[in-house]
Amino acid sequence: MTTYIIKRVLLMIPTLLMIALIIFLVLNLAPGRPGQTQVSADGMQSSESAEARESYRIFKEQFNFDKPILFNTRFNLTEADVRSRLDLRVQFNKPVCPDTGEKPEGCLPVDQKPSSAAVIKAVEEVEDWGAYIVPELVSIAADEKADLLLRKLAVVNLASNAQMRLKSQYGRKPTPEEREYNDNAQKENEQLRAWRPSKEMSAEEFNKLVKENWVPWFEMNKPRFEYSGGDKVAIFFTDTRFAKYMYNLSKLDFGVSHVDKKPVLDTIGGKLKYSISLSLLSILLAYMISVPLGVWSAYRQGSRADQTVTLILFMLYSLPSFFIAVVVLELFTWGEPFKWFPTGGFGDAGADTMTTLEQLKSIAWHLVLPLLCMTYRGLASLSRYARTGVLDVIRADYIRTARAKGLGEPMVVIKHAVRNGMIPILTLLGSLLPVLIGGSVIIEVIFNIPGMGLYLFESILARDYNAIMAVLLISSLLTLVGLLVSDLSYAVVDPRISFD
Amino acid sequence: MATDSDKQISSSLLPKDYKTYGEIVWEQFKKYKLSYWSLWGVAALFVLAIFAPLLALNVPFYISVPEGTGPASVAGVSFPWFKALFDVNFFESGVDIFFNSLIFTVPMVLAAWFFIAPRWKKSMIKDKYKVYRTNFWLVASGVLLAIALGVYMLQFSQPYVDYQMLSKADGVSSVYPLLEYSYRDMELNSVGISPNSAHWLGTDDRGRDVFTRMLYGTRISLTIGILAVAIYTAIGMVLGSIGGFFGGRVDLVVLRLIEVMLCFPSFFLILTLRGFVEEASVFHIMVIIGVTGWTGIARLVRGEFLRLRRQDFVQAAIALGYTRTRIIFRHVLPNALGPVLVSATFGVAGAIILEASLAFLGLGPTTAPSWGQILTVGRQTKLWALILAPGFAIFVTVSLLNLVGEGVRDALDPKMRR
Repeated sequence: MTTYIIKRVLLMIPTLLMIALIIFLVLNLAPGRPGQTQVSADGMQSSESAEARESYRIFKEQFNFDKPILFNTRFNLTEADVRSRLDLRVQFNKPVCPDTGEKPEGCLPVDQKPSSAAVIKAVEEVEDWGAYIVPELVSIAADEKADLLLRKLAVVNLASNAQMRLKSQYGRKPTPEEREYNDNAQKENEQLRAWRPSKEMSAEEFNKLVKENWVPWFEMNKPRFEYSGGDKVAIFFTDTRFAKYMYNLSKLDFGVSHVDKKPVLDTIGGKLKYSISLSLLSILLAYMISVPLGVWSAYRQGSRADQTVTLILFMLYSLPSFFIAVVVLELFTWGEPFKWFPTGGFGDAGADTMTTLEQLKSIAWHLVLPLLCMTYRGLASLSRYARTGVLDVIRADYIRTARAKGLGEPMVVIKHAVRNGMIPILTLLGSLLPVLIGGSVIIEVIFNIPGMGLYLFESILARDYNAIMAVLLISSLLTLVGLLVSDLSYAVVDPRISFD
Repeated sequence: MATDSDKQISSSLLPKDYKTYGEIVWEQFKKYKLSYWSLWGVAALFVLAIFAPLLALNVPFYISVPEGTGPASVAGVSFPWFKALFDVNFFESGVDIFFNSLIFTVPMVLAAWFFIAPRWKKSMIKDKYKVYRTNFWLVASGVLLAIALGVYMLQFSQPYVDYQMLSKADGVSSVYPLLEYSYRDMELNSVGISPNSAHWLGTDDRGRDVFTRMLYGTRISLTIGILAVAIYTAIGMVLGSIGGFFGGRVDLVVLRLIEVMLCFPSFFLILTLRGFVEEASVFHIMVIIGVTGWTGIARLVRGEFLRLRRQDFVQAAIALGYTRTRIIFRHVLPNALGPVLVSATFGVAGAIILEASLAFLGLGPTTAPSWGQILTVGRQTKLWALILAPGFAIFVTVSLLNLVGEGVRDALDPKMRR
């Protein structure tokens, strides 16, 4: 038994890795990014939008959204790549030639003007390439033959791309070493930002800026931007979103939420108790009602009572839970016609002022309707399984033997029939778990219970990647554990099954 | 024509009351009265879905406009209803265009069948008739699909005319469908009306007739339910048969894949996938349900394959040197189809509930009149008609499908044979 459990637990690791990879790819390959702001496409931005741009850049950097997803080949970028992206923005800023009349200098025909979508993409790309293109940007800036606007753009980008990364901006408190590093980096970044050219700067002034500040700075820091073969291999695999995420995950760090900048694990820890208590109570309730009901109905197979119960259960099974939830909410909470139950929430607010008993009562009061809505469908299918389970064994020889040797009817049914008939229903426990963890989304949304389902729903609407990843991974883990437990419970009920 | 040689073969090789497996199952199925009538109920739902525009559309069948009234293009007698059916600006979703083409093609196919079937029956021996019957329906469904797709590919569109406004003008005579409403156009001066003789189920928060929306919602629910299940049945059957037939390492990979999919709480996965499609269409929703739902079918088919592979007739086929493809498709797969059919029937019911749940959360197809979306509006506006109508519709559809599924399951089970 122990070896079996250990084997199963070890098997969970590759499964979870696979799950992590799948969710990660789904999230990251989807178009759009969280926190994407409307990017202004004009070449030189006003100071305000530059600030917004900068904070968006830092946001991307902190959440690794500037990195490629699986593999990083950015050390191969050439000056031509960078130049073409910057050129797009220069083109975009040129005036469009009017159909008639005098044509302004350097104007572009309408059909050659790049679309704003292409420009936004180019801006993002140059920004995301980060420190990998610093040498290229410097050489473009120093190229006196190039267009002045192009060179200015190169320097503007340089001022952000060349900045040093800060360590763990959000989330944990930085250690003293990290803080020192951050302080130094901040100082240098400040300096780099100060070397940004202004829109009105003349060519001479700009040349002076590049020659006196940027070129010497680059010469001094050159080793930072040169990569050896070994570096390249390491960058190829490790300087990616996936590698960073998995590295953090291996330290059980699920990252921080994009929305409230708090570690998602803490948030989920707070939410788990609502979801788990709701699911467990609902499973418990479903089993407690459905097993006796199924047994009773099987025992009276074919009678009118059995037919009625079967029909009612069948109808319950076909009723969608959100419909029932809306109906009971309308009937029992708004005061028309009844105001018996609260409209939503878990009822554990105001814990300081209430005694434990009062609090329990409040929770129970809040949970009546959600539990009802969560339980009835599971109840319907479980009783049907329980009924078939008992029907399968009730005509078996050993039941006849038990009766023949004079055992009382309750003993025959409970000890012999039920125990054997319940084995199939135990397997269902395993498959019920993911349904209950996942199926509670709607109930949690309707009844406003702050559990995992509601959190996932809100995170998806906000595109909070780290939160979604964490919720899915943790609920998958719970499901795996649930499956293991249900397999083990087999062996407990049926002595013929052993795992050794 | 029945030739002598045909008759000889059939009389020499087969017993007189010979029945195919399909016929046995069908006869059994007919004995489950409730399930049998539920099948007719499902057919009735399809009739409602197909012929919805006959009952409710805000475009007249016939309109006669005197010269000088309204735009010049509509002057004289015209039949806008027929044109509107295939107008991609009027019915934006491909699902609607598809069903609209069925309004004409389905009656034609049925008429052809009732014309030709008695003649075939008279002139042929039973076995040949059965082959012809099967071929007729295969060809007919192919033609239906091709016409529907062709109509959609045409991308026919015409300038918008407000016929309802036009009909009120002097000298204009027109004949409308019974309900003069669109499921889409908002009527801001008739918001939240409770059920009456004009609006059978009232109107919603944007003044749209709820009955019309429910009617067209049938199309959405049935399409998503059936096609999503078709997608996942296909995926599951391919993966399951590969794993079950080849066994060994291939099987291990398939099993791992199934296990990985199984331990996602499926609704979480669906929500996540849906969250990353902006402006989801009906098509997106069914693909999302399709790619997440295949594990059950794959496990089922894999199990059937493992069981069947060891049986004598498959071993005989292998010994005869048939190709793998032939063995899989001609010998094993047909025998594994029964349980798949049962599972798929229940699956359609499940997919309809899933779609409604997504729409209820506001994550359904964005422009389609989905039942779940109507229920959400009902919850927001507290109009009972908007809560009860979609709930009841989902309940009825799902019950009918579940009853059919039960019947098929019992009919396929030799132990339950009556």
